[in-house]
Amino acid sequence: MVVLEYPQLEELIVRIREISGFDFSGYARPSLLRRAGRYLAKYDMDLDELLLHIEPGGSIVYDLIQELTVNYSEMFRDPEYFKRVRTEVFGYLESYPTLRFWVAGCASGEEAFSMAILLKEAGLMNRSLIYATDLSNRVLTSAREGVFTLGNVRTFSESYILAGGKNSLSDYYHVAYNKAIISPELRKNIIFSLHDLTGDGVFNEFQFISCRNVMIYFTLELRQQVFRLLYDSLSMLGFLCLGKRETLRYSGLEAHFKVIDSALNIYQKIK
Amino acid sequence: MNSAKDESLSLVLMGGSSGSFVILEDIIKLLKDPVSFAVIFVLHRGRSSSSVLPDLFKTKTDVHMSEPHHLDPIMSNSIYFALPDYHLLVGNDHRFYYDHTEPDFFSRPSIDATFISAAMSGIPVKAAMLFSGSSQDGAGGLKLLAEMGCPTFVQDPEFAEFPRMPEEALLKYKKHKLLEEDKFYETISNLLS
Repeated sequence: MVVLEYPQLEELIVRIREISGFDFSGYARPSLLRRAGRYLAKYDMDLDELLLHIEPGGSIVYDLIQELTVNYSEMFRDPEYFKRVRTEVFGYLESYPTLRFWVAGCASGEEAFSMAILLKEAGLMNRSLIYATDLSNRVLTSAREGVFTLGNVRTFSESYILAGGKNSLSDYYHVAYNKAIISPELRKNIIFSLHDLTGDGVFNEFQFISCRNVMIYFTLELRQQVFRLLYDSLSMLGFLCLGKRETLRYSGLEAHFKVIDSALNIYQKIK
Repeated sequence: MNSAKDESLSLVLMGGSSGSFVILEDIIKLLKDPVSFAVIFVLHRGRSSSSVLPDLFKTKTDVHMSEPHHLDPIMSNSIYFALPDYHLLVGNDHRFYYDHTEPDFFSRPSIDATFISAAMSGIPVKAAMLFSGSSQDGAGGLKLLAEMGCPTFVQDPEFAEFPRMPEEALLKYKKHKLLEEDKFYETISNLLS
């Protein structure tokens, strides 16, 4: 167990910015403190040693940034959420001739693949495009490959059933070399691309945005800015979905959304 | 928005796993309105368990109870429960932060995550306690709190339903005070008055 103090964390944030240009100043300190402590524990070093090792041109700083920003995801995470999207949201979306979805902060693609399966089973896949974005090239590369361990896929399968899946999850992947590979059929309507919610702007207009468990890592101020970006990227009456423990509270945009499900954090833009 | 910061805030931290649920219930009965601090209870729970603790206990106490939202200000005279599947962190701005990094010792929420974040938050910790459980979680956090001068307590492993958790805490740091069977609730009640 390695424990950092807040002033040390600020020192690390400055050093990372000097060396890589990546700015953590808008990231929530309590989470960053935990992540940085875990990084140091993993490599069995203290902050001074780390500061010595992160140098311009070296790869350690990028490894560190990766560890501090990586998002762990699962397919059909919070199954009841997917169930709810199917019953409450899709009925409304059916009236559109074309649909654009945005999975913001997509990590290794789990959420995007889940959404693709949901759309396929609802018969909406052919008119849908899913944009899945993340700030990390490394996770995007893995998302494009769509490869998961069999252990993970077992958990995903259980969640898929709980989410009201109509088939078996194994219909959507094949197994090779002891890994599960998501079928190309599912991937063809997903566009994985680089986008940093904290710096990049609006790039399209969407009927549905899911940004789950991403903003919990931002400070109140940055979070408000990102909420604004998501709001601006949504078409009127489009849907915004957040993680289970997140909320629209403190976003400054509460009045612009109608609550579809307060427990599962599904909102609809109304003005 | 940061004006919510209550400078007189202090915390009482409690962690438990298997065999701690009954203790939690009895402690809540001991808490009388109003209390001058915030109690944060981290109990290992299955990820699918729903948010029911405040409802379950609402007839037992008049102290405000909640499973807080992300960024909610931490207020005195409140009992907070960590929700399943997320770590509950205490921020130095006196707000709660949810975190979804890996589990500690297979547990999310982890007791260590909450205890360590509270220790680093600068908010005074009036007391921290670890009860029955069959995990190593919490031992590191409790040690850190003890080393920072906070009063720390563990349930006497002799009568804990699952002794491993208090045992691990004592292995890491011998000087935690023991909450012995005959004076268990009396001691806690005195600490919370």
